[in-house]
Amino acid sequence: MKRLATTMLVVLALTASSCGTSEETITIYSGRTENLVGPLLEEFTAETGINIEVRYGQSADLALLIDQEGDRSPADVFISQSPGAVGFLAGNDRLRPIGGDVLELVAPEFRNANGEWIGMSGRVRVLVYNEDLVDPGELPESVFELTDERFRGRVAVAPANGSFQDFVTALRETNGDEATAAWLAGLAANEVQTYAGNTAIVQAVGRGDVPMGLVNHYYNLRAKAENPEVASRNYFFPDGDIGSLVIVTAVSVLATTDAPDLAEEFVAFMLSKSAQEFFSSETFEYPLAADVQPGPDLPPLATIGVAAYDFDQLGGGLERTKELIDESGLESP
Amino acid sequence: MRVASRARSTAKPTSAVTAIVGLLFLFPLGYLLWGALNLDGDLWGTLASEATLEPLAKSLLLATSTAAATAVVGTALAVLVTRTDLPGRRFLRVLLALPLVIPSFVGATALLAAFGPGALISAVPRPQGFWGAFAVLTLLSYPYVYLPLLGRLSTTASSLEEAARQLGSTPRRTFARVVLPQLRTTIAAGTMLVFLYALSDFGAVSLLRYDTITRAIFSSRLFDRPTSLTLGLVLAVLALAVAAGERLLVSRRERQQIIGSGQTVYRLGRARVAAAAAVLVVVAVALATPILVFAIWILRGSATIGTGFTGLGDGLGFLIAPTINSAVAATVAGLVAVLVVLPVAYSAARRRGFIPEAASAAVTSVFALPGLVVALAVVFWAIQAPGPLAGLYQSFPLLVLAYVLNFGAQSMRSSQAAISAVPTQYDEAGQTLGVGARRRFLEIEMPLMAPGLITGGGLVLLSTLKELPATLLLAPIGFETLATRIWGAAEDGFYAEVGVASLVLIGLSGVLTWLLVLRPELNRR
Repeated sequence: MKRLATTMLVVLALTASSCGTSEETITIYSGRTENLVGPLLEEFTAETGINIEVRYGQSADLALLIDQEGDRSPADVFISQSPGAVGFLAGNDRLRPIGGDVLELVAPEFRNANGEWIGMSGRVRVLVYNEDLVDPGELPESVFELTDERFRGRVAVAPANGSFQDFVTALRETNGDEATAAWLAGLAANEVQTYAGNTAIVQAVGRGDVPMGLVNHYYNLRAKAENPEVASRNYFFPDGDIGSLVIVTAVSVLATTDAPDLAEEFVAFMLSKSAQEFFSSETFEYPLAADVQPGPDLPPLATIGVAAYDFDQLGGGLERTKELIDESGLESP
Repeated sequence: MRVASRARSTAKPTSAVTAIVGLLFLFPLGYLLWGALNLDGDLWGTLASEATLEPLAKSLLLATSTAAATAVVGTALAVLVTRTDLPGRRFLRVLLALPLVIPSFVGATALLAAFGPGALISAVPRPQGFWGAFAVLTLLSYPYVYLPLLGRLSTTASSLEEAARQLGSTPRRTFARVVLPQLRTTIAAGTMLVFLYALSDFGAVSLLRYDTITRAIFSSRLFDRPTSLTLGLVLAVLALAVAAGERLLVSRRERQQIIGSGQTVYRLGRARVAAAAAVLVVVAVALATPILVFAIWILRGSATIGTGFTGLGDGLGFLIAPTINSAVAATVAGLVAVLVVLPVAYSAARRRGFIPEAASAAVTSVFALPGLVVALAVVFWAIQAPGPLAGLYQSFPLLVLAYVLNFGAQSMRSSQAAISAVPTQYDEAGQTLGVGARRRFLEIEMPLMAPGLITGGGLVLLSTLKELPATLLLAPIGFETLATRIWGAAEDGFYAEVGVASLVLIGLSGVLTWLLVLRPELNRR
């Protein structure tokens, strides 16, 4: 009788534990939309048996949500389209440093110094231009030339957009606040056209409303995939000019997670060969790990600068970036 | 004596409920106050700075002019499709409600793609800046005036019209002197909604490059939260003041109304063609043009089908669950909103006094806030909820609460107009006959105010169908709606998918508007 009871207990315990493994679940707040990450999440579950629950939204809004949720956040992992949003959470002590083994999957310049977030793919800043309105010969050698008279009123920027703000922050890191402020003021004085975001600029350039604009590279690749006849073209600033630096998208683990191991397993998966190949071939981004090469249309990563700025080293953080943009007189839509 | 004391005893629970509902709608304001005061912001500096005042002035200019334009457009359309012999009016009645369901960022993107040099229709200038925002918001939001008027127009006093006619008044004069004055409260209610909607909009104004205060709220939301929350507070307080002020004005001029059925249909005569053309222009620009653009996106993007992304590659099956979710969430939100704000609407329309007026202003003010602010306010309070209430976080009931908080004003304004149109004599007659308060309400007043309540619920339904920020932040995990699908696709430039999902959204809202709002209305007559 006693033995039977013990056997039953063991069986019960085994059943319970096996149920436990099959019901392992992590919750992800993803600033990347389903189109750009959904297939990877499915692959992760198929490979590891770990279920994923995912909430999609704008990176900035989800960062605000996580901060507002505080200790009670149901999220384990946060995927951000921009270093700004993860940086905001790192600054508010909402993120948990990622373990050394996983961190080392990417080069140090693609991650936060404390390991609170880690880059998983990169997008390049480009000048998108309308080939009917702009002669390739007149394209600038450097992003700093956009304040020249010959570009008066011909360039679009999106001052309220996260990527533009990330770019300005990177500019502060490399060239200092003074030079950054001068460049922004120069743009404003040069009657730069302001738009709501990257997509709005790429569409406006495609229509010919404005001859060129500063955006992330893959928006025009998407636009061309939907409409091959569109007149917009990507221009990469040459010779490592900061105008075409790489801005990383990031993955991070929340300080309040109750499943840190599973969360790190997920982070490691996003840096695995298959995930990195997905970024290269499906979303036209720069892979950052596992020796995967970027698509053939992109200049090699080694030839362009990388923005993975550090909050601690940047006086005033992103708030200061916003102040500089506001003070420059760039009127946002 | 007995009658009076009974009346008072029913007033008490209603005002208690009114006060509670009013308090509930003050929670977003409480969140903004907390943030503006606690987050080390420079409250007065922010308020007085040019960076606040200039966009604020632009917001007010846009909201006022859009409201004025929709008052004219919405009223004209409602009258034409209900009270005249306009050809095809029954069909147009449904079509004209639908622009409300197009999310403003989608509407603006579609109209940008449609008009301007090199676009689909190059004769029309590209919508941009103030005029662009004014035109697009007018076309997307006139249904706030139009839809409640459909309800009101079916209950105007036909006896008065007949009397006027028998006294020799021309139809045109009868309409202007007898019918139009009866519509005033409803038009004012709808116009107020448009005013608040235009204040709260971010999607259209940012794409059309008109720099309003919502842009400042959005661009500072992450890195300068004190400023963002202070600006939200400015909007909320402004809306409170406008709502309270409008009630004061209305209370002075309101008079007893008479209700009827079997209204006169006016013959348009020679104006028939011109009227039909005008209505068709609205349908063409506000509905047909976006639909045409969606169709072009779908055809163009079909080349990208099967590129490995989710979406069109696996047929339209991926839209089934979002469509069901959208329909359920919107219907429930519409119904709950009507019920929750009814006590406030009723006591504000009937009893007046501080509590009903304050509650009514509180309900109204939330609608002026950008949806993201309302959603974050709900998160702020819900995440701190004690004990079992904490389990409600990111559940369906909490999502519905967020919708009701955000859009309750729509239902309340419609209901208020409908309630104040019901003469109190009927209730008094019932009272004299010794009929209980509940029976009087359900059997005498309810049927008379039903059309207004239904159209108010219909507005909430249509707004919920396109709602985005609260759905993204507060829905149960994995709960996708058509609006979230459209957003996700638009975010990365998958315009073919935006087109498909938008067409389904417009179709769904047409079906729901017909089934739940306009058909009961027709059956009633």
